Parts: sequence; structure tokens; C-alpha cells
Amino acid sequence: MPDLDNAKLREAVLGGDWKTAAAVTKAAIAEGVEPLAIVTGCLVPAMDEVGRLFECEEYFVPEMLLSARAMKASMDILRPLLAAAGTEPVGRVAIGTVKGDLHDIGKNLVGAMLEGGGFEVIDLGADVSAERFIEAITKSNANLVALSALLTVTMPAMKTIIEALRNAGVREKVKVMVGGAPVTQQYADSIGADGYGESAGAAVALARRLVAA
Amino acid sequence: MNSKERIQATLSHREPDQVPVDFGGTAVTGMHVSTVAAMRDHYGLEKRPVKVHEPYQMLGLLEGDLLDAMGIDVVGVSPRKTMFGFPNDRWKPWNFRGLDVLVSEEFRIAEEANGDVLIYPEGDLTAPPSGRMPAGSQFFDTIVRQPPLDDDRLDPQDNLEEFGLIGDEDLEYLVSSMCEAASTGRAVAASFGGTAFGDIALVPAPNLKAPKGIRDVAEWYVSTRSRRDYIHRVFESQCEFALANLARIHRRIGDSADAVFVCGTDFGTQTSAFCSVPAFRELWFPYYKRVNDWIHAHTGWKTFKHSCGSVARFFPSFIEAGFDIINPVQCSAAGMDPAQLKREYGSRLVFWGGGVDTQKTLPFGTPAEVREQVLRRCEIFAPGGGFVFNSIHNLQAGTPVGNIVAMIDAVHEFNGAGRA
Repeated sequence: MPDLDNAKLREAVLGGDWKTAAAVTKAAIAEGVEPLAIVTGCLVPAMDEVGRLFECEEYFVPEMLLSARAMKASMDILRPLLAAAGTEPVGRVAIGTVKGDLHDIGKNLVGAMLEGGGFEVIDLGADVSAERFIEAITKSNANLVALSALLTVTMPAMKTIIEALRNAGVREKVKVMVGGAPVTQQYADSIGADGYGESAGAAVALARRLVAA
Repeated sequence: MNSKERIQATLSHREPDQVPVDFGGTAVTGMHVSTVAAMRDHYGLEKRPVKVHEPYQMLGLLEGDLLDAMGIDVVGVSPRKTMFGFPNDRWKPWNFRGLDVLVSEEFRIAEEANGDVLIYPEGDLTAPPSGRMPAGSQFFDTIVRQPPLDDDRLDPQDNLEEFGLIGDEDLEYLVSSMCEAASTGRAVAASFGGTAFGDIALVPAPNLKAPKGIRDVAEWYVSTRSRRDYIHRVFESQCEFALANLARIHRRIGDSADAVFVCGTDFGTQTSAFCSVPAFRELWFPYYKRVNDWIHAHTGWKTFKHSCGSVARFFPSFIEAGFDIINPVQCSAAGMDPAQLKREYGSRLVFWGGGVDTQKTLPFGTPAEVREQVLRRCEIFAPGGGFVFNSIHNLQAGTPVGNIVAMIDAVHEFNGAGRA
């Protein structure tokens, strides 16, 4: 049975040590460990723990960014191997900040947590138009759309995007989740979003619920 | 009481005759240029283009006639140079998405095909742009220009290019601005710069043509955890410059400033914080304490701390660090209940803000809802002094004029009804 130093990789992710995370991942692959086993057996539970620590305020934004960086260092090695093996992700999320909004730290944290949760993340970046979300749905088969806004002045673009998805005939293909400082469950309901996440950790649980629904 | 006496009373936790009001005194208590223009129209003031005196957030200058009309007690003094490194002088007209405004001669921009507007550091069109206003936005955000990072070659001096001893021209500007502000009879809120210690809006150095060091926002946040020695060395040098500059400025302006904007570094998010309290005390607290201790030992200024978000957990440390004033008092964030804040910290911190929610009520509520919230907040924060009315952060573009009017009228209603 090939060996994965599970504790060491978990420690590297929790401690934000990307160099060790990459080294342990490479060593595990060299030993013949299945890439999917590394994701499901270690990275996903480690990032779940990061989310838990963030929720209970033992971790804050810097720690979360560091852990995400370590997870990504491992995923960068695993991703092509997973693709070559035809492994399907938990879901495909097209994520971006809405048109006019350049504030992307929250979006990046949510994206990292989703990737660490086993999702394929199609990061469309900041200031993203409805057309680019539609393109991600039609060309990349995204089944989730995650919209982020920090500002009250850009938040209404969430409604515009959802309407555009409907007009383009792709609304039924995806679940739409929204988040960001001024966004509330009430606002999410009012614009016809499928879910609202208050934090990066909550976003992963929400995404899992939405793809399972 | 006149405006200055009113502010001085409230900053000393004595109840003034009326709740004093600030709009435009600082870069975090201001009004978007479009709202300034709209309020001038509302009051029927002389039609003239409003000056964009803070181009990063596109804040408009509130001149004396509007201050009078709105019943504002504070005027601001700002550094000679803007966030983008050019001075505010030689005003020129600019049509800002249909609104005629005035901008500095060195406010130099380029418009991209998609409608985004790029702005250039020091007005130098040959330098890489340092700010972008997306087509759907009404203010600039910094463009991160992060050179490749090599941990073995990181030099704190690279993060100190924008800090140094104040130059004569900048000092004279502050002195003349202070004289002008003091002559208005209003209280003065002065911003000198250089004492923020890691304000994330300033980390990318939009005023520099080719910033070096750690300039990426996420990289900076990461560094506050993983490169603390480096950050300490940056803050240590910054603090030395700051103390020398404060001494030089105070020698010239004396105690004519009532409040001094020390720090805009945000420690709160909507639901949590950017760091733990122990991390704050280890990395930031020593420098804030040195700055505030110097100010209190040598001047009559009150020190102003801005931090958005859920920051009540930091209030004991802010107080211990010597901050007198907290802004914007984001009551919409977690753990920021106004009555609880007033009860627990009202005798030790002045609440400069918190007057109305700018995430929901003011932009999206009705005038009646705005009035109701303003009256309630005044009832909570006003007793015993220690309250300067301001919305929670700047008034944003698109805020309904009727709601701004309802907000101001409600403060005056409270002042008229609640005071003899």
C-alpha cells in the first residue's frame, strides 16, 4: 500500500507551509499514491479544518490565505493528474466579483476554500460581466455560479447577472450563490439567488448543499 | 456654543448644546462628489462645479455655503498631495460621467475602450497607471504593481519609499491650510499622513511610479503573519519619521487642530476581524501607542482612529494605545450594537460616526426609515457627549438625495427637539 504522509501534509496546509505541502505531495505521487486519495483523504479535510478554525476565529484572513496557498501548491501538482485520470470534481464553480467591483480578497478566499473542498474553480477574476459568466457556463460546464460584491453600489449587478443568465437560457443549468459585505439572505432571496454564504467557510457547505440538491 | 466649542466639549466627553455634525472633515467622513453636487442643488446654492479634493474615492469638497446649509461643525485639513501623489492645485474642469467637476491639473487619466478610467501616479502618463475606475464604478481602486518577491532579498527600505521627513513645501501647505481652516470658526480635523501603519489602501503605494517591496494586498496580509520581523522593521522606521514630522508640524500649527486623523488601517470585516487581538497587540499596538503618547504629551490634539467592520474586540487595546476617537462605528457589522458600545466604551471613546447605516438604510431605505434610525442613534450616542454625527463611512454615489436630506434633517430635529 503506497504511503501518504497524511499528518505532514495536513500540518503543512494548516500551517500555511506551501513548500512542504508541495514536497510531500510530490513524494506521495512518486510513491504511487492515487491523486484523488490525496485530495479526498487529506486536502479536503485539512481545508475543512481551516474553515472551522476561521469560523471559530482561531484563524483570520492571513492564516487562511497562507493555508490556501499551501493547498494550491499541492493542487497544482495534482490537478493535471486528476484531469488525465478523468476524475470528476464535486462541482464546477464559475466565480468572480461582479461588474464594477475590483475587491477580490473575499472572492479569492471563497474560491480557495471551494477548491480545497474538491470543487473545480473557474476563477473569472474581478469586475466580471454577465456575458463572461454565461460563457463559463456554456463552455466550461460550470454548474455553480458564485458572485461576490463588496460595495453597495455594485451589489445590484448580482441581480443583473441572474437576469442575464435567465435571458440566455442557462439559469436552470446552474445554482447561483452570492456573498459579500453588504449582501444578506434577504437580498439573495429578493434577486432569485439559490443561496447566500456569510463567510468563506459557509460558502463551501452551501456549495455542497446546492450541488447535492 | 459655536462649532469649535461644541466639538471640543464632545471630544472631552462633556455633553454639548447640540450633537455636532461632520461631513467632509476627513477622507473617511466625506461625500462622493456627485452627492455634494446634489446637495448643493437641493439647497439652491450657486451652481458651480464641485472640486474633487480626494480623487481616490472621488470625494467632493464641501465649501462654506454647503457647510452652513447642512449645519456642519467640522472642516478638514489634508496633506498637499493626494493618494495619487499629485498636489491639489490648478483646478481644471472634467466631465465625470455627465457631471461637471473640477480636478487638479495633474489629475491625468486615460479611458480604456471598455469605459474603465486609468489614473497615473504624480500625473505622469509615462508611468504605469496606479488606479482604475471600472466602467460600473464611481471611484478608483489601486492597481497592484507587485515586483517579483524574493524572500532572501526583501529589504524593508523598499516599503519605506513613500515615508520620510516632511518637506518645506508640504509643511507650508499644511500651515496655510490650517490657518484657513481655523479662520472658519469651525472645529478642525487634520490629516497629516504617515501614521497609519499598514493601511491596506496605501500598501500598493498608488502615489509612487514604481513601488518596490511588498505591494500586493494579499501578500501584505500574509506577511503580517509570516514576515513579522520585516513588517516590524518597516513600522519602526515609519514611526521614527512620523514622530519627527508630528513635532515639526506641531511647532508650526500648535494646538489649532482639534482632532488628528492618525490611522485608517482596517482591522474588521463584516463578520469578524483581520487578525486576532494578540496579533494586533504584537504587531501594531506598540507603534500606535508611541504616536498617540507623543501627541498627548506634546499637544492638545485628540487622536482619531478609523477602522471599518467588527472591531469592538479591539476597543480596549485602541483605548490603551491612546486613541481618543473611533470611526466609522460600523453598527451593521457583527458585535457592533450601538447601545452596547456606548454603554461599555462611551466614557472612554468618542464615537465619530455610526449615525446611519450606509450599507442598507441610507442607500436603499425610505426617508422615514433613515429619519427613524438617525433619531434612534442620536438618542443612544449623544448623552454625555462623546458623539460626532457622521454616517458610517463616506456617502457613496447613488445615495438618494431625499435620504441624505432626511438624515441631516433628523439630526437637526433631534438637536432642536432634544435641546433647549
